[in-house]
Amino acid sequence: MSVSFWAWLVLLFPLLGSIAIGLGFRVLPARAAGAIGTAAIALSFACGIAALVSLLGDEPEARHHASSLWNYASAAGLDIKLGIFVDPLSIFMVLVVTGVSTLIHLYSFGYMESDRGYRRFFSYLNFFVFSMLLLVLAGNFVLLTVGWAFVGFASYALISFWYRRATATRAGMKAFVINVVGDIGLVLAAFLIFRELGSFDYEAVFAKAPEVFAVNQWTIVAICLLLLLGAFAKSAQLPLHTWLPDAMEGPTPVSALIHAATMVTAGVYLIARTHVLFDLAPTAADIAAFTGLATLLVAGTIALVVTDLKRAIAYSTMSQIGYMVVGVSIGAFSAGMFHLMTHAFFKALLFMAAGSIIAAMANRQDIDAMSGFGKAMRFTSAMFLVGALALAAFPGTSGFFSKDEILAYAEARGGMYLIFTVLGYVGALLTAVYTFRLVFRILPGTPCNPAQELIETGQVVHAEPENPATGEAEDTEVGFPGPEHHIAERSWPMKVAMGVLGVLALVGGLVQVPGVDHVIASFLDPVFEDSPLLEVHPTVGAEWTGLGIGGAISILGIALAYFLYVAQPATPAILIQRLRPLHTLFARKWYFDELIDLLVVRPALAIGRFANRTFERVVVDGLVSGTAETVRGAGGIVRLVQSGFVRSYALLLIAGFAGLALYFLLASS
Amino acid sequence: MTNSLLWTPLVFGLIGLALPKRLTGWWATLGTAVTLGIAIALLAGFDSGAAGLQDTVEAEWIPGLGVEYSLGVDGLNVFLLVLTALLWLGGTAFAAFREQERPHLFFLMMLLAETATLGAFLAQDLLLFVLFFDLMLVPFYFLFGAWGSDRPDGVTASAATLKMIVYTLVGSLLMLVAAIATAIVAADGGQITFSIADLAQNPLGEGSQRWIFWFFAAAFLVKMPAFLLHGWMPDAYRAAPLPVLAVFSGVLAKVGAYGFLRVVLPLFPDATVEFQEVVLVIALASILYGSVMAFTQTNVRLVAGYSSVAQLGFMTAGIFALRADGADGAVLQMVNHGLVVAPLFIIVAVLAERSGSEDLREMGGMAMRAPVLAALFLIVALATLAMPGSANFIGEFYILNGLFQAKIAFAFVAIAGVAMSAYYALRLYQRTMHNRVPAGVGSRELGWRDGVVLVPLVACIVGLALYPQLVLKRTDASVQQSVAAATGKPAPEAELAEEAPAMSGWTGYGPLADRQVDELAAGESGKSP
Amino acid sequence: MSIEWYIVLSSLLFAVGATGILIRRSPVVILLCLELMLNAGNLALIAFSRMVGNQEGQVFALIVMVVAACEVVVGLGLIVAIFRRKLPLDVDELRELRG
Repeated sequence: MSVSFWAWLVLLFPLLGSIAIGLGFRVLPARAAGAIGTAAIALSFACGIAALVSLLGDEPEARHHASSLWNYASAAGLDIKLGIFVDPLSIFMVLVVTGVSTLIHLYSFGYMESDRGYRRFFSYLNFFVFSMLLLVLAGNFVLLTVGWAFVGFASYALISFWYRRATATRAGMKAFVINVVGDIGLVLAAFLIFRELGSFDYEAVFAKAPEVFAVNQWTIVAICLLLLLGAFAKSAQLPLHTWLPDAMEGPTPVSALIHAATMVTAGVYLIARTHVLFDLAPTAADIAAFTGLATLLVAGTIALVVTDLKRAIAYSTMSQIGYMVVGVSIGAFSAGMFHLMTHAFFKALLFMAAGSIIAAMANRQDIDAMSGFGKAMRFTSAMFLVGALALAAFPGTSGFFSKDEILAYAEARGGMYLIFTVLGYVGALLTAVYTFRLVFRILPGTPCNPAQELIETGQVVHAEPENPATGEAEDTEVGFPGPEHHIAERSWPMKVAMGVLGVLALVGGLVQVPGVDHVIASFLDPVFEDSPLLEVHPTVGAEWTGLGIGGAISILGIALAYFLYVAQPATPAILIQRLRPLHTLFARKWYFDELIDLLVVRPALAIGRFANRTFERVVVDGLVSGTAETVRGAGGIVRLVQSGFVRSYALLLIAGFAGLALYFLLASS
Repeated sequence: MTNSLLWTPLVFGLIGLALPKRLTGWWATLGTAVTLGIAIALLAGFDSGAAGLQDTVEAEWIPGLGVEYSLGVDGLNVFLLVLTALLWLGGTAFAAFREQERPHLFFLMMLLAETATLGAFLAQDLLLFVLFFDLMLVPFYFLFGAWGSDRPDGVTASAATLKMIVYTLVGSLLMLVAAIATAIVAADGGQITFSIADLAQNPLGEGSQRWIFWFFAAAFLVKMPAFLLHGWMPDAYRAAPLPVLAVFSGVLAKVGAYGFLRVVLPLFPDATVEFQEVVLVIALASILYGSVMAFTQTNVRLVAGYSSVAQLGFMTAGIFALRADGADGAVLQMVNHGLVVAPLFIIVAVLAERSGSEDLREMGGMAMRAPVLAALFLIVALATLAMPGSANFIGEFYILNGLFQAKIAFAFVAIAGVAMSAYYALRLYQRTMHNRVPAGVGSRELGWRDGVVLVPLVACIVGLALYPQLVLKRTDASVQQSVAAATGKPAPEAELAEEAPAMSGWTGYGPLADRQVDELAAGESGKSP
Repeated sequence: MSIEWYIVLSSLLFAVGATGILIRRSPVVILLCLELMLNAGNLALIAFSRMVGNQEGQVFALIVMVVAACEVVVGLGLIVAIFRRKLPLDVDELRELRG
């Protein structure tokens, strides 16, 4: 069984799962749909493992296989096949995606149980996993775009899953349109690549690119910038990030899967995959790195003031992806991918725990209303704490090893890249503070009403369902969340999923301890061996120094959060008073939404309205009506001759005849 | 087989006149199904590698004028024939399910229209092409005017139809003049022929090519419709009955684009190159204007209508990139767009039934009890916005790639149309299927009648999405030839036209005086091979 | 033989007829004047025929007479129909056939 065979199976199972659930939606009982969905992804994960084993049987240099099914579109010089490309990078992504997805499917099995759209959910979720796998396994830029767009569509479908909520559908539309902008970037990059290199296949492109392009030639920079357009739209980096917070309208498993672990990492994967091109265009790589850095900081500041639990975690995702983007842009490829993996673990865990808490709050997501869940939901709180520790890069957790490796690499590269190290640590401090702001708000303290209810009666509080964002009431037919809420303590699938992720979040970093083992690096490095940046490598000593600094900052941040939110709870209010403009800036998300509304949305709608009302009426109809009116006018003038007076006709006749006769008489004389 | 493909619909229509009212619709559907069978047989027997005409029919028609009855199938039109037959089957079946008034005439008109459209695609003689092009319009005049609906804002169906007819006829008149001029100028005193293949061998002088190009372009651009010549579209689209509109929008618009590839590019290569940028500007304007109009429209039909304007703009741009990949993409898009827009109008009919209006502001939430309808509509909407993964994406990809390699600035502008199409297609879907259910809207599942028409069409969309190479493989050779004619690059072996037989004078008839016959005989012996 | 006087007579008759058409309002009188003009033409034809020497002019004059007769039939028929409908027999009043 070759690697490619297993890779095709990896793609096949989620697709089959999605189709099976979709076609059988009338006959399948709900739980069966969930079971099929989860099993499909689990099978896919198993095939991924098989592919990995098969791949490891090859020599490190020979670990890349391309395989194609049929000619998708081959005409007029373009040759596009339905082809996949399997190498350590794609297998790594496959394993992360399928692994985390299996756990999230398991979680959803319990979480979405009372939702009327249960089967639709699993069908979409399976389709999403299929699309993501297509994206990472694609072997040419066209199939990459297909996978890219499918992921965007799946994201739209899942964000607006509760489609009778106006906020959800609007958020879905926003995500989709921004995604299409990213697709356009990819497509334009593909055109440029074809123009210069004559092919769309990865192998051909990456082989020819160093021969055809000089370093920093404007074409290759343009290609990379266009690829970045796609990457930033997908990974929610500045300025194409505005869809991610709104995407929290979707159910929590969706946020966990798509907007933490998988879809948003696609941009990072893209930059890593096309590293050959980015090596030739250092300018573009630097732009990418700086954008990642900016996102990192901006998102961190916003997360400090946001009061919606899921949105806070979303901004933290944006920030962490900024780290990953920085990593793969400055050449710390395996470090960036390592952080991708650990982030998938702890972020999915955080979202799952958050989902449990929100369920206990009867779908309210406002952290100002939450407190004391530490006593009410022990398991969930423990998991939330674990995830938070990993996110804050507490020493020993997975996040600790992965994040700081990137920063150590930046330092090793030296020169300008020290900025990344310094500001990266600033960002790490922010991360620790805002993460534990959430922890210290929600977990300790006197239990709020829902928590109290849980402690006393053991029942989840029930409230009339309403949209948490707008407060409008909703009924609970299809298109709205189900009437019951499921918490981890009550639901074994949720517990198992969260438990596994908790363990992984804690120990997952141990695969890449500096000086001890480097599983990820040794696996992934052969993919990047032609990159000059691979030479740069921080010494073990430097890495441990970096880890030390990182650990210290993490503890400092946690302490700061403790001070602000537990020891002296009045301080935040005083700070907000003193720094009101700054607070407003953060609370309004740095005005990006307003900016995009002003620059893009309003002009577009205005042009549309102008076209509809004025242009169509005046110019187009005017042209036609004008012509008709002219003809009618001319006809009106000529009509005056036809007066109906016989005698005037006779006069004209005779006069005309006389004139003719006169003319002939004169002419002949 | 080509002859039977062409005349079967009309024969069925005429026989249907004699049948009782209840059976007419089913008889017509049977007729379209038989036509589809013949078309598929033609497709199955099609040789992908050959660039020339296959399955030709050639017969003398008006020898004196040099007009032949010549039909032919090649890569350019083979899929358009199948598309025509398929969409007519869908539209006729849809109309048959919903009882029509005066069914005999209705279905006769539909089938006559099918014959005329097939003829326009099959014709290889310029005058025959013009004849079928104009003939296409006659049944639609009746279908729109007599079976259409008056609008509440005062525009009657007959007024809208009249507007459409006048617009199209002006273009067609110009085309007729141009066609006759082409034949006469090309004959240059010798034998007149209207055969497209023969005319392609000797292009005209540049001066003549210029104005003739624009006259042909006028006719085709009005048909599509292109920006500034689209004034007839909103009223006509609002007045037309939906099954008729499905085939009208699905097929007839493409005859214009096909005309460019079949007639203009091979016969007027110099003018094509000279006016390439002008036409590209028109195409780009159509893309942008159509998209912008589509996303602020509230009438569901017009969203689809303006979207068609934009899509036809893409096809024109693909053709006028004057590259094989652009033109390949354009032909693929012709098939795709037809496949997508017909189900779209059927869905519009379904939506209108459930909400009682065709205004987006009065619709919403219909996905609730109609998952199958929602799923089918979603597939159609995604195909409309050329979502990567659909065949529409490959078509647009090829078009944009061709445009990018040829005139890069135009490609950047055109691609804005892609982003806008995502917005308006999804907006259409969301405003009808999602959000709250307003008063007056009853959400219910797709009935089996509509399903039976819709599901096969959507299945074709999905099938083509998996394998767009099906179309590309067969069209490539002919498209290369067509584009090569315009750009002057060497084309694959073109079949040489036979030497035209020497004949007397250009009318060839009329009593000749003895001395004139003697003169000609002397001349002939000097001229004939 | 010289035919000047015949031509003069013919033109005088023609002029009288033309003037009559322009001036008179009654349809019957207009028809009469029309006859006058036609016969003036006949006279000219016959005179010229005499001058040239062959019969073609006379034959044509006969044809003109036939045409005149037909046209008078139609014209009188129209006048009778107008009279029967009690419309004013006045050319100035009868002007519905206009653009």
